[in-house]
Amino acid sequence: MKEIVIISGKGGTGKTSLTASFAMLAGQTAVIADCDVDAADMHLLLKPERIFEEDFYSGVAAVIDQDKCIQCGKCQEICRFNAIDNSTGQYLVSNLNCEGCGYCGHICPVGAIEMIEQNVGKCYISKTKADNKMVHAGLKIGADNSGKLVAKVKHEAKASAEKDGKEYIIVDGSPGIGCPVVSSLSGADFVVFVTEPTVSGIHDLERVYQLVKKFQIPSGCIINKADLNEKVSKDIEKFLADNEIIHLTNLPYDESFTTAMTKGQTIVEDKTSPITASIEQCWQDLKIILEK
Amino acid sequence: MKIAFTTKGIDWDSKMDPRFGRTEFILVYDVEKEDFTHVDNRSIADQAHGAGPKTAQLLFDLKPDVLITGNGPGGNAATVLEKANLKIYIGAGDMTVKAAYEAYKNGNLKEG
Repeated sequence: MKEIVIISGKGGTGKTSLTASFAMLAGQTAVIADCDVDAADMHLLLKPERIFEEDFYSGVAAVIDQDKCIQCGKCQEICRFNAIDNSTGQYLVSNLNCEGCGYCGHICPVGAIEMIEQNVGKCYISKTKADNKMVHAGLKIGADNSGKLVAKVKHEAKASAEKDGKEYIIVDGSPGIGCPVVSSLSGADFVVFVTEPTVSGIHDLERVYQLVKKFQIPSGCIINKADLNEKVSKDIEKFLADNEIIHLTNLPYDESFTTAMTKGQTIVEDKTSPITASIEQCWQDLKIILEK
Repeated sequence: MKIAFTTKGIDWDSKMDPRFGRTEFILVYDVEKEDFTHVDNRSIADQAHGAGPKTAQLLFDLKPDVLITGNGPGGNAATVLEKANLKIYIGAGDMTVKAAYEAYKNGNLKEG
């Protein structure tokens, strides 16, 4: 079983559209994991039907036991996040402001403050229209993605793939270079970068590549909308060659990309699109690379 | 010499855990004493953020000479481990602990 993680560093490069296309092409051979939990939108393209759901707990927030509280106000004084309010006559913690640092709990003279694990959302296992299982999550308002939640999504995907003897886990990775993307990459067999020929595209590619390099995971790159700026595309190709990143393909800018998206479809479902064949070829190439 | 493994279980036949920071267990094999000890790392794996550096700190305290794992440790963990003066070998993520140890002895693992 091989785990492929698709990341971009920068938003808007077409990462999720291409991940969903690979999910369509892989069909029953793969389990899909949406680790872009902050902006989980692969379900819009893959139309998953939920089979299973469970609550997800991550991080802590302070809760003040009103029976024990002696109204000394020390917690409010030291809270750097202004998360404690006593305008109602009681000291209360605002969950939206509390960062869970636990300082208030340490200084409370009567031990009235407890750090409670937060229910931040739900984790789902679903079946997509491509007839593969998909693990994804939904966060509550104000909750943020974490390495722990990504690890949970990946763990469920891996368990499902092992149980059903699947060949691939296709992971829509998290953006940026922080904790969630580190967790997305951890344990992967291959990384696909999706970039675009813009100044921020190449900058963010270089940045996230530094992380992948530390993990020493082999990688390839798709340059999407490559014809929009041929000079920067050439710069990206040079960067790939210099760093032994496999140049998987260049996709031209094409309206069918957006048209498919607005219809709630993956691009590969549009057989008339000039880029469908390129994406199909890219998936075949990826499979061959993974066998090595 | 002490060798640390990132694992999903606590004996020779356990599977390796390819992850560093969120590995379930760390097994430490003392080559001279032929003795195994393990550390349950699941409470660190359960942290929302910063699992890598916390596991690196743990490893720093265990003082092994060699670490065998799957991927290389990520950014912050790698910075801590640089100070720990240990050799890292990667690419053992799909193996059992026993197979990983054999691969290490035969020089078949990549240095991280």
